[in-house]
Amino acid sequence: MTVEGLIPEETKGLIGELLSEPLSGVITAKEAQRFALAADDLNPLYFDEEAAKAAGHRTTLVPPIFLAWSLAPARPVSEVREDGLYKSAGRRVALNVKRVMFGGEDWEFFEPVYAGDRITSETRLKSLEEKHGSSGPFVLQMTETTYTNQDGRVVAKAIGRSIAR
Amino acid sequence: MSGQRYAEDVNAGDELPVLVKNASRAQLFLFSAATNNPHRIHYDKDYAAVEGHPDVLVHGPLQGAWLSQYVTDWAGTGGRVRALSWQNRARAYPERDLSFKGKVVEKREEDGRAVVELEVWEEDDEGQVLMPGKATVELPGRG
Repeated sequence: MTVEGLIPEETKGLIGELLSEPLSGVITAKEAQRFALAADDLNPLYFDEEAAKAAGHRTTLVPPIFLAWSLAPARPVSEVREDGLYKSAGRRVALNVKRVMFGGEDWEFFEPVYAGDRITSETRLKSLEEKHGSSGPFVLQMTETTYTNQDGRVVAKAIGRSIAR
Repeated sequence: MSGQRYAEDVNAGDELPVLVKNASRAQLFLFSAATNNPHRIHYDKDYAAVEGHPDVLVHGPLQGAWLSQYVTDWAGTGGRVRALSWQNRARAYPERDLSFKGKVVEKREEDGRAVVELEVWEEDDEGQVLMPGKATVELPGRG
């Protein structure tokens, strides 16, 4: 008897591929500050232009990990699933699993990101690995996203981990 | 935020001061809104039970944002965080103290800059490590 794994063969072909068209947008001070405040982070570099300039910056900074959410396109309520998550956009990484949990991130920061910067991101599927944990088999899915600013400089890279079971 | 931290004042083995966070349910809602995340496990306790959770959960990325704040505040406005990573290993709940802790693993010089490697983590109110992490920070010198 053949036991079907959690990673279908055709999904393995997506490894190394872009998961969507590049996303691009201007990050405003207001949305960066809303993110910082929701995490009760009152860093003056995000809020106070004079403090940012005194620290050698041209204007206020964006909390660096906010990049991960700043470019997501606005979507209609009709695209929300029963669990509240949005239906997949772009190329779907089809797995034989029920749930996907956020498992953490690895960030590298190369340049500051400023309020008003136009950032473009590209996300690739980096790897899919089937593993066996104490609560059964799961898939460790890793994506790699590169963030580039309006001057063509790579400002950050992030590897995202999710656990699908 | 406290004053600027300088490379000369930091040594391998130093412990970072503890930062305690405690999320209200309203804060979870605000973080969902700020990240455009409608996943019901963060605001709907009945639905969270459907996914096997006894209560709503603190977002993994909110815990990541707190870790980022912890390291960035430690570095001060003249420091620079070069890298930050974390793994969400266990569930975190609202209205419970979550403690961020850390220690200096290494200090080295790279092209005339002081670079510090930190081990950082988040614990719940029973001392269970929910989220281990690492950071690389550049610190200014007094000179």
